[in-house]
Amino acid sequence: MKSIVRFGSLILVVAGLWQLGGSAWLLAKAELAQYLIANAWDRQLASGTPHKPWPWADTWPVAKLQLAQQKPLMVLSGTSGQALAFGPGLLESSALPNDSVQEARTTVIAAHRDTHFRGLAQLQVGNPVRLQGADGSWHLFRVNHTRVVNSLRESLPVYAERDLVLVTCYPFDAVDAGGPLRYVVHASYEPGAASVQL
Amino acid sequence: MNRSFFQPARISRDLMILPNDEYYRRRYRKRRGGSWLLLVVTAAAVLLAAVGARATESDMTPNANGADGVSINDTGSGDLLFRGGEPGRYIPAIHLGTKVAVKVRGLVAEVNIQQEFSNTSQDWQEAVYVLPLPENAAVNGMEIVVGERRIVGKVREREEAQKVYREAKAAGKRAALLEQQRPNLFTSRVANIAPGEKIAVEVRYLQTLRFDSGQFSLRIPSTLTPRYIPGNPLPQDSEVAVNAHGWALPTDQVADADKITPAMMPMAELARNGSHKMTLDIQLGMGLPLVDIFSPYHEVSFRRETGHRYQVELKEGSAAMDRDFALHWRPQASAMPSAALFAEQAVKQGEDAEYVQLLLLPPVSGDASPNKLPREVVYVVDTSGSMSGTSIRQAKESLLLALARLSPQDRFNVIEFNSNYRTFYPRPVVATGDNIRAARDWVESLQATGGTEMAPALREALSQQLNDEAGELVRQVIFITDGAVGNERALFELIRQRLGETRLFTVGIGSAPNSFFMRKAAEFGRGSFIQIGDLNEVQSKMRTLFEKLENPLVTDLEVRWPAGMKVEAYPKRMPDLYRGEPVRLVARVDGKMLGRAGSGQVIVSGRLAGKRFTREIALDSLRVDNEGNGIGSLWARAKIAVLRDEQQQQGRLSGTDGAEDSLRKEILQLALAYQLASPYTSFVAVEETPVRPTTEKLKSSPVPNAVARGQMLQQQTYPQTAVGVYGQLLWAMLLIGMGALLRIAHRISGKLGALRVHWANGLRRYLRRSVPDVRRRRNRLEARLLLANTGKGK
Repeated sequence: MKSIVRFGSLILVVAGLWQLGGSAWLLAKAELAQYLIANAWDRQLASGTPHKPWPWADTWPVAKLQLAQQKPLMVLSGTSGQALAFGPGLLESSALPNDSVQEARTTVIAAHRDTHFRGLAQLQVGNPVRLQGADGSWHLFRVNHTRVVNSLRESLPVYAERDLVLVTCYPFDAVDAGGPLRYVVHASYEPGAASVQL
Repeated sequence: MNRSFFQPARISRDLMILPNDEYYRRRYRKRRGGSWLLLVVTAAAVLLAAVGARATESDMTPNANGADGVSINDTGSGDLLFRGGEPGRYIPAIHLGTKVAVKVRGLVAEVNIQQEFSNTSQDWQEAVYVLPLPENAAVNGMEIVVGERRIVGKVREREEAQKVYREAKAAGKRAALLEQQRPNLFTSRVANIAPGEKIAVEVRYLQTLRFDSGQFSLRIPSTLTPRYIPGNPLPQDSEVAVNAHGWALPTDQVADADKITPAMMPMAELARNGSHKMTLDIQLGMGLPLVDIFSPYHEVSFRRETGHRYQVELKEGSAAMDRDFALHWRPQASAMPSAALFAEQAVKQGEDAEYVQLLLLPPVSGDASPNKLPREVVYVVDTSGSMSGTSIRQAKESLLLALARLSPQDRFNVIEFNSNYRTFYPRPVVATGDNIRAARDWVESLQATGGTEMAPALREALSQQLNDEAGELVRQVIFITDGAVGNERALFELIRQRLGETRLFTVGIGSAPNSFFMRKAAEFGRGSFIQIGDLNEVQSKMRTLFEKLENPLVTDLEVRWPAGMKVEAYPKRMPDLYRGEPVRLVARVDGKMLGRAGSGQVIVSGRLAGKRFTREIALDSLRVDNEGNGIGSLWARAKIAVLRDEQQQQGRLSGTDGAEDSLRKEILQLALAYQLASPYTSFVAVEETPVRPTTEKLKSSPVPNAVARGQMLQQQTYPQTAVGVYGQLLWAMLLIGMGALLRIAHRISGKLGALRVHWANGLRRYLRRSVPDVRRRRNRLEARLLLANTGKGK
C-alpha cells in the first residue's frame, strides 16, 4: 500500500513538473526569441537581405508591429505552430502593405493570446497600430472595430484592401487552448502617414 | 457495570506520559522539510530534462522541415487547417497530370483530355476528381489507359453505371466512372490504383466554337470557383455520407451540393508536388487562312503548316491548372465567308439521316446609329467572398467603364449583392454627372465578402423598372459576377418568369467563372454574355459589350427549309442577335436529301434596324461528310439542353412528375442512342480481371482542384492562436499539488493512531472538567448517607 501511494504521488508530481517545464519553456522561448528576432531585424534593415534570427530557424522576421504604446513585436512569416511560438505570424495568403493599389490585400497577423498578443485586449477603437515593413518604412493603421468571431463558421476576412487584421484566441484567460472563438481587431490604413520614421 | 467504561479516568492524568501538541508539530515540521527538499530536487531535474528535450527537438526540426508535410504533433500548437481535409498541411495522395489535345475542324472542336492519376501513397486508392468542362461539351467518350492497354467506357443509365462501378470497385477491378453533375461539372472516379501506379482516364468531347465579332474562340476550363450553396442544410442521408468528398452539405435548394464542391488547394502547394500541370496540343484546321491567333491568359506559340493548318502549343510546355485556357483566332477578313454550312451522314447503322451545322453572318448596320434610344440600365455587381482578390478589381473596373459610357438621357441604378443586396438608388435615376459620380464613389468602396444570395438581387434588379414607362426605354440589366452558385436552375427559372421587356446581359469575371451560368442566364435573359479573366481584358471586352448594348439587334429571324424536307433544328426559335453575333443552328434532316441536285435552299430572313433582309444558301452543292459523327453528337447535345429547359419550366408549372418523367425518358433514350453523358447517363469502364488482392484495403481520396488564380482559398480558417500556457500551468499546479497531498496524507496516516489517542485524551480531559462525575456524586451521596446512618445509629 505504502509503495503504491508513494509511486502514484511520484508520477503525479513528475507529470506536473513536466507541464510546468513545458509552459515555462514556452514562455521563455516566446520572450527570448523576440530579442533574437529584433536583433536579426535590425541587421536585416541595415543590410537589406533576410537574416535568420538563429542559424536553424525555419522562419524569418517580415515586419515590426507596435500596438498603441506597447513594446514593439517582431512579426514572423507564416502562422504555423513553430512560427507562432516565437512571435506573431503573418498569414501566408495575406500581404504586407505596399504602395501598389492593384496588389492591395489585407494584412493578417495572428499570435497567441497567452504570449505575444496578451496586450491585444487593451487595444481600444481609435488606437494607432504601426507596422514597419522590410524597407524600413512605417505604416500607420487605426483600430476601427474589434469583435469576437466563431472560427468554425467564418473564414478570415482577407480582401483586396490595405487593412490590418489582428487575430488571437478568445476568451483571453481561458484555460483550454482549442476553443473556436477568435478575437479580431480590425484596423484601417491611414495612407498619409506612411514612412514615418520612429 | 459502568466502571469498565470510565476505567482510564481512574488512572491519574499526571501519571501518564503523553506526547503533547508541540511534540507533534516539531516532529512533523522536520519531516516535511525533508520531503520538500526532495520535491525541489526532482523538480529541478525534470525541468532540466524537459528543457534539454525541447532544445534537441528544435535543433532537429529545421532539417526535417523541408518538403515534407508538418506532422500532427507540430500542428498541435497551430497551423492553417483546411476544412474538409485532414488537419495540418494536407498532401494529396493522388497527383494529377493533364494532357489536352484539340482538333478544330469546321465549326467543331474535338477535345481529348487525358488525365493521369498517380498514386503516391502506400495504399490502394480510389481517386475522386471534379472535372470542369465547357458548358456546351458533348461528352462522347471515356477510356481508361493503363500503360498500353485501353479499356473503353460505355454509356449506361446513371444508377446502373453506379452499380457497375461499385461492384467492380469492390471486386478489385480497375474501373472508372464519369458522371455529369452540371453541364460544365463532371465527377471522375477511378478505382483500384495500386500504390505507386499511374492510371489515366481519357475523356473525349465535342464543342462548337464560339464566334463573335469576327473572332472564333475556344475555352477549356481547368478548375472552378467554389460554388456558393444557398439554402439550409438537409439532414444528411446515408447515401450522401458514403460518397461525400466535397465540403458543402446538401441544402434544400441544392440537393447535390456535396458533389459540386470539391476540396480546393492553393496552386502553389499543388505545384510543389508537381501536380496539376496541363499540356496542350491544338490543331486548327478550319481550312481558312487565319490571323491573330492569341491566348489571353497563357503564353502560346503556333506553327503554320500546309493547307491553312496551325499547330498551337504552350510556350513553356505546361501550365498550372488554375485558370481557364482560352484561344482566340480570326480568319483573314477577305477569306471569311458570310456563311458556313457543314453536313454529315449519320454513321449509325439503320439510321437514315443527315446532320447540318450552319453559321451565317447577318448584315451589319452602319456604325453609331444616329438616333440612339434612351436606355434604362441596372447594373448588378457580385460582391460575394468568391469575388475577392483580382475578381472584384475586374468587376469594379468594368462597372466604372460602363458608368462612364452612359449618356445624359439614360437612366441607371447600381445593385451590389453578397449575403444581402443593396441598391444605390431606390429606383433608377437620370444619368447626370453628379449621379454618376456618386455611384462611382460607392462602387469604389465596395468590398468582396460574404455569401452569394443571387436570387433576391436578381428579383430586385428585374423589378426595378416601372411598368408605366414601358416602350419608351430600352431596358437592360448588366449582371457582373463569377457565377459561383450551386442553384443555377432556380435562377434561370427566376429570370424566365420575371424578365418581361428587360434584357439581361452577363459579364463573367475571374480566372475560372461558371460559364454555364453566364451563357444560360444570358440566353434566358434574351441578352448576351462576355467573359473577363484579366484586368487587361476589361477595356476590350467591355467595348464589345457596349457595341451589343448600343447597336440595333437582328430580330424576327426565321429559317425556312425546302418544302418536303423533314427537319428538326435547334434552337427551335431563333433568338435575337446582337452586334457581331452569327445565326447558328444544328439540324437533323431525315433521308438523304442534301448535297444532290434539287436539294433546294435554306432561306434565312430577319429584320435589322427596321429593314428586312434575306440570305439564301444552296443545299445542292453541299458536300456531305461520310466519316465524322461530330455534328450528330452536337445535335443530340443541343436537343438534350432544350429538353432540360423544358423540364425546368414544366417542373415549375405543373409540379407533378408526369411530364418530367416523359422528358426524362426522352433525354435518356437520346443520350444512350448517341452515346453521350447526360444528367441521366454516365460513362463507366471496367477491366475484366481484378488487380487488387482482397486482403488489401481500398482508400478513397479526393483529388483537389486548384484555387483559381487571383482568388483566395475561401475556406481558409483562423490559425490556432493559443498555446494553452495557462492550462498547462494549471495542470502543473494541480498535478504537483495532488502528488504532494498524497505524500503528506500518507505520512500523516502513519501517525494518525497516536493523534487519535491524543485527541481522545483532550476530549476526555475537557469532558471531565465540564461534566460532573456521577460516580463521585454517588460516592459522596453514599458517604453522606453512610454518615447519616452511622450518626443516627450512633
